[in-house]
Amino acid sequence: MDVSELRKNAKLQMDGHPFVVTDFQFVKPGKGQGLYKCKLKNMITGATIDRTWRSGERLEAANVESRRMQFLFAGGGSFTFMDSENYEQVELSADLVGDDKNFLLEQLEVEVLFYNNRPVGVTLPSHIVMKIVEAEPGVKGDSANNPTKMATLESGYRLQVPLFVKEGERVKIDTRTGDYIERVNG
Amino acid sequence: MHGGPVPFARRVAVWDAALTAVRAYLRAAGMLEVSTPIRVAAPAIEPYIDPIAAPPGYLATSPELAMKRLLARGSGPIFQLSHVFRQAERGDRHSEEFHLLEWYRLGGELAEVEADVEAVVAAVFAAVGAEPPTRWLRVDFFSLFERTSGVALRGDEDDEALRSVVGPALRAMVWDGRPGPLTSPDAEIRSLAAWTALFSAWSDLHLDPWLSRQVGVGVHLGEFPAALAALAQRSQKDGRAVAHRVESHVAGVELANGYLELRDPAEQRRRFAAVNALRGALGQAVLPLDEDFLRELGGLPLTTGMALGLDRLIMLACGCTRLDDISLALGAP
Repeated sequence: MDVSELRKNAKLQMDGHPFVVTDFQFVKPGKGQGLYKCKLKNMITGATIDRTWRSGERLEAANVESRRMQFLFAGGGSFTFMDSENYEQVELSADLVGDDKNFLLEQLEVEVLFYNNRPVGVTLPSHIVMKIVEAEPGVKGDSANNPTKMATLESGYRLQVPLFVKEGERVKIDTRTGDYIERVNG
Repeated sequence: MHGGPVPFARRVAVWDAALTAVRAYLRAAGMLEVSTPIRVAAPAIEPYIDPIAAPPGYLATSPELAMKRLLARGSGPIFQLSHVFRQAERGDRHSEEFHLLEWYRLGGELAEVEADVEAVVAAVFAAVGAEPPTRWLRVDFFSLFERTSGVALRGDEDDEALRSVVGPALRAMVWDGRPGPLTSPDAEIRSLAAWTALFSAWSDLHLDPWLSRQVGVGVHLGEFPAALAALAQRSQKDGRAVAHRVESHVAGVELANGYLELRDPAEQRRRFAAVNALRGALGQAVLPLDEDFLRELGGLPLTTGMALGLDRLIMLACGCTRLDDISLALGAP
């Protein structure tokens, strides 16, 4: 693609990685060369970089698509997902799933990113609800200087929760930060 | 002053006031209003301005060539407010279609059309009830380049000489190792490409930050290097190769571009050919020469011309930062 086709959300391929344009500015002295100043996000690692192109340069569009899939199971160092529409199954290695494994529950609907038709990453819903399987009992009178305690989710992930949260209760988690948000009743 | 989009009802009033003010000033200054065709057989040839094809011709990127033919036939001082089109220029301060206010005065004094810019800016600011720049500064390219980058240029260096004199930051921006006209076997293409790229890099690295510090002050940047003459006359001045060209800026926004107009058809043909060669090396379309214009250029009287982006001026007068904030080209309702 020609650099003049750059837009916010355009997807490019550089050094074997797909990038999405998150910010885009076109500047041009009247009789000079146009500059396309972009912020780009690596769609696999999430790393952000700045890049400036000059008018006339060519870029490579990235062949990326996002498919809605359901998490089936983990095993043997990989995670298996199923396309909700055509039931096709794909496997992602543990390093591509990364810390997201802490929030993967069976049947969770996620977005799987495909780059050149290979699955390269998972995007979770920003919030999920999980059950606490283990929590220290809250200590009365200690809430002033130690208002939280450790608890373990059904996935095995451990996090800080307020003292009032008990074993067996369900809590809402921010999957981007891994932080507790609130207790979910019912 | 406000930052956001101008409400629709006010937008219509703003444009009416601005158009009225501009026309009143230029008519009072003794110019006649003209209107030349929007579709032309051949556009003015510039390295980085791409016309939009409108077979069997192009949409005009500026009314310059057509207006110069009128001048050559004895029109006297004229102005035009035209819709012009430049392919793939899209951004907060760029639009593929915009209003170019262009005017020509007889005589050889660029200072006269610079004074017109100041008056037109003041008239449009006043028409929308805003305070115009308190004063204007005139600075020549060579001193400002030296002041901001520490390098004294002569204006006619070839690409090798330029590469050896500019500092490492500019050198890295211009000669970045990517393939293109800077590696052309043709020395003329290399030099034109080097000067054009150097000017763009310097604008980004030094000029724009410097301009953004000139708060409330308009700036005329004049005396360009000869290599960047475009359609302006060149001469030797204080040991430098100078193009008699000026760019006017307000609040860091490039508003207008003026020339002491070139009147030599042979020289004009050489320049068009050089730019076409550069365009070819850049992979851009090589454009047809306007032979009618070249035939009549010899009759052009001594003339200075100025072209001003009216949309940008109205944007500035309204205290906005995006053309969309003042445009009458409405998006979806």
